[in-house]
Amino acid sequence: MLTLHHAPDFASTIIRLALEEMELPHTLALVDFDGGTLATPEYRRINPIGLIPALETDTGPMFETAAILLWLVDRTGRLGPGVTDPDRGAFLSWLFFTSNALHTASLAMFYPHRPAGEANTDAARAAAHDQVMARLSLIDSMIATQAPRWLSADQPGVLGYYIGVLIRWLTSLPPEPYRIDLAAFPHLRAVLAAHEARPAAQRVAADEGLGSHPFTKANS
Amino acid sequence: MTLTLYHIPDWASSIIHLALEEIGAPYQIVPLDYDAGDLSTPAFRAINPLGLIPAMDTPDGPMFETAAILLWLNECYGGLGPRQGEPDRAAFLSWLTFVSNGPHVTSMAMIHPEYAAGEAAAEEVLRLAFEALNQQAAHLETLITTKAPVWLSTHTPGALGYYLGIVLRWAIYMPHDSTLRFSLAPFPALQAVLAAHESFPAALRVAEADGLGPTPFTAPVVA
Repeated sequence: MLTLHHAPDFASTIIRLALEEMELPHTLALVDFDGGTLATPEYRRINPIGLIPALETDTGPMFETAAILLWLVDRTGRLGPGVTDPDRGAFLSWLFFTSNALHTASLAMFYPHRPAGEANTDAARAAAHDQVMARLSLIDSMIATQAPRWLSADQPGVLGYYIGVLIRWLTSLPPEPYRIDLAAFPHLRAVLAAHEARPAAQRVAADEGLGSHPFTKANS
Repeated sequence: MTLTLYHIPDWASSIIHLALEEIGAPYQIVPLDYDAGDLSTPAFRAINPLGLIPAMDTPDGPMFETAAILLWLNECYGGLGPRQGEPDRAAFLSWLTFVSNGPHVTSMAMIHPEYAAGEAAAEEVLRLAFEALNQQAAHLETLITTKAPVWLSTHTPGALGYYLGIVLRWAIYMPHDSTLRFSLAPFPALQAVLAAHESFPAALRVAEADGLGPTPFTAPVVA
């Protein structure tokens, strides 16, 4: 049995989408931020870093979004290339790019005081915005030129759900003029539109109140 | 199967260089010159569209991202950490990703503190990154002292030891403000793991080839 430590519309939603798509039985342990769950010794035994997501597995606890997604792909043989697949190298490259470049820069847009201090939030948000735009352009170009089956409109994949949730935040959370317009990335938009229409995504969206188009129309 | 590593010594490609030497995979190196604009050429962008080091050509096509290449090499050759289905794979993946998102990103912020919010904020960015890296190192110290993982130990070379060795090396000697340079002294278990890693035969060969000095991880000496 898998236990996901979760808060709605946080990064753990990415893992929940993958679990639903894979139809893996799991339980949700809701994290109480205000109650300080993340700082308790019990939680730190599961995730020593004190963040969500964390996933308890039969081989021990896991943390970090990309790590959990990769472990689930390898466990099920679904939603991404396996270790013997010729696409594995490209998939790993873009998964870690999404994790340490796109995800990290997105967090800097939402919490610019963390890398740069309270006095520098505007400059930090502007710099992170430029990074996010450049990185989304790379992803959009990659989809257009390589048409990878692990990030496509034809079949679901962990990377589609990962980028989908990041896009949801990037298109709704930052103040103007820093909000991202998904129309600038039409190939990515088509992939995310297909992902959000999946029954698994619709189940999660309904349960978490994410709307009927959680990735492409996060504000509606 | 010959692999091609696009390389600048003491950049992140040195991490991959260490891993390639450790596993004994056949590889060749293509040296790049940042100042000559080698990372911006169309030929290099065809290999890594990000225009960053490391990048590696494989028989299945080009790869980039340090953690991705380390994982792929381990899947193909072994010898760098737990593989799929092996005990502790879940923990290894978690901590590898943590190093990629945490210490690697944080160390880069200490080297280039002007990137996050411009020159005016660089001093504050460096100070915050210094604090963050010390927190991240404390998490690693606790991991080693409480779990004693084989894949980050003094007796077995591994991807994570080489990865941390290089990114912490940068934070130890590169920041302009000498009061905000990282030190391993508060983290003796981590220091011991890195001291062992810099002494493994593969590390000695790479240190020689890349000009990293005699103690590249624990006491980097700038040539």
